[in-house]
Amino acid sequence: MSTRRSRQSSTGASRITDDQIIQLLSKLQQLLPELTNRRTNKASASKVLQETCNYVRSLHREVDDLSDRLSQLLSTIDAGSPEASIVRSLIM
Amino acid sequence: MNCRWMPEFQRMNHCVPDFEVDEDYLLPASSSLRRHKKSAMGDEDVMELLWQNGQVVMQSQNQRSAGNKKSETMPSAASREIRSGAIEEEPTPCNLFMQEDEMVSWLHYPGDDNSLDIYLHNNDIMYPALPSSAPVTTAPSSLPPPPPLVTVPSSRPPIPPFKPVEEEPSQPKFANFLHFSRPNKGNLAGSAPSSSNKLSRATTQLTVVESNNRSAGEALQSRASRVTDSATFVSGANVGCRGSMSSFGAAGTSSAGREPETCDLSASSSPITGGSGASASVEPSSHKPPPATDNRKRKGRDIDDTECYSEDAEFEYHEAKKQSRGSVSTKRSRAAEVHNLSERRRRDRINEKMKALQELIPRCNKSDKASMLDEAIEYLKSLQMQVQMMSMGYNMVPMIFPQRYMPTMAPMGIGMGMEHVGMTRPMVQFPTVLPASAMPNPVHLGPRFQMSQLPVMGPARTQPANPTDPIMNSFPLQNPNQLPRLPFQDPYQQYINIPQTQLQQSQNQTGMSGVTSKASGGKDVGYHQPTG
Repeated sequence: MSTRRSRQSSTGASRITDDQIIQLLSKLQQLLPELTNRRTNKASASKVLQETCNYVRSLHREVDDLSDRLSQLLSTIDAGSPEASIVRSLIM
Repeated sequence: MNCRWMPEFQRMNHCVPDFEVDEDYLLPASSSLRRHKKSAMGDEDVMELLWQNGQVVMQSQNQRSAGNKKSETMPSAASREIRSGAIEEEPTPCNLFMQEDEMVSWLHYPGDDNSLDIYLHNNDIMYPALPSSAPVTTAPSSLPPPPPLVTVPSSRPPIPPFKPVEEEPSQPKFANFLHFSRPNKGNLAGSAPSSSNKLSRATTQLTVVESNNRSAGEALQSRASRVTDSATFVSGANVGCRGSMSSFGAAGTSSAGREPETCDLSASSSPITGGSGASASVEPSSHKPPPATDNRKRKGRDIDDTECYSEDAEFEYHEAKKQSRGSVSTKRSRAAEVHNLSERRRRDRINEKMKALQELIPRCNKSDKASMLDEAIEYLKSLQMQVQMMSMGYNMVPMIFPQRYMPTMAPMGIGMGMEHVGMTRPMVQFPTVLPASAMPNPVHLGPRFQMSQLPVMGPARTQPANPTDPIMNSFPLQNPNQLPRLPFQDPYQQYINIPQTQLQQSQNQTGMSGVTSKASGGKDVGYHQPTG
């Protein structure tokens, strides 16, 4: 990723061009489920950022949920089993 | 008289001419105030706002003629400024300040709309258009090189002095304004154009007031009041500069309507200087008023002024401006202001969201946008990957270890498995179910994975960490080493690595393209809809 951003910021002032930011935002946009399905170039910066925040939060929730489930699953199997270790590993 | 205003720099008529000494940046406002006062008191001479040493110095016109050295210096300075500035203005200062809409209100006063217009137009400075043009000319000459700002027409007399009489009560107010604006005052010379814009606007108001003064005593009074209002307005606007300007304007008007320039200058300068910090003790004390006597001019203002009050001021000014004569420049400036405002708001919104996003990202200590966005992208990917992994694992484990789960799940297993959309319990016995499945199992991976995995896993899998369970090998233990590592010290990395390795392995065995694609592609895989 850093390569993409060819930061020319070496010169004291980090010259982060707008282009870089635009690129990053579009990349981000592609990762977002909602914004990608429609039309990729439709979203404004603020919308992309907003959606990203929302998406990250939802992913967090999902991770928590999955962790819970995995924990439950873990409890159903004997702890020493390989599966257990797998499950444990999955649970962050 | 109002010597209390006497700014360090100047005392025009009656005070010691420290103008020159002081400095270049005398607080024009203060001086002008003084002047106004003086004029009000009794100097009938028109107090002109002259720029002296870059500061607006109010000088009574009479004095100029008298050859007061003080006044001369001051006026000359001021005049210089004026002249240097776009002096196109004509004798009627009123027109000068046209640019701001705010002036409109002022303009309505009997008087000189025209002059104001021109006045405004010419400079950004808020040179109050002095109705009396005559004295001004003389004064300017005497003044030392006035700040460029004062474009007030040389001919124009200095800002019409406020009638001290009327103003008296308001004077204190002006002083306050001056305080506000003071800081900018110094910038007349050439501070940020934006600020000057503001100032000019303010000036405009003042100018208008000034011009009004000319018309009549009452006019003055009304203007004065207006000025006060505007001044108040200005201060409300949070722009120091403006405040001062208005005050000046008011003061100017009161005095004689003749010192608009001076007044305005000071006013404008104050705002300019003070714009940034209103700290100004604006008042006449512009002791160290920035040299910009040209405060009047927008440019004079510091950029921060613009910043500080651009937001508020813009609003107010914006409205005021609307009413301006409609000079082209005014419209343009208006449009520009509107645009700036909206730009600013948009940027603020975006910044807010960036901050919110930054908070969501763990261990994000980047301060610049680009790197922050980079991190956000990576984090998002890793999160997605994690969710995929977890859900896949959640679904797979029961399947992988059918032995373990079967007993319990058997009853529900097959049927349910089929029905389940796969999320939580793949309870399908893969051997039987797999093939067909519908495997609602969520991700297209599931079924595929299972199917392919089962048969092949054991033998094909290479990492058979646990030979006991072929299945285990295949899936979970594809990277037996890795799995344990899952508890990610580096969530990002781990997530990214694991799936890939696993995927690859799977692929080796069965070409689980699905899995691979999952890893690479992302989001669609999740077992459950990502909350979405």
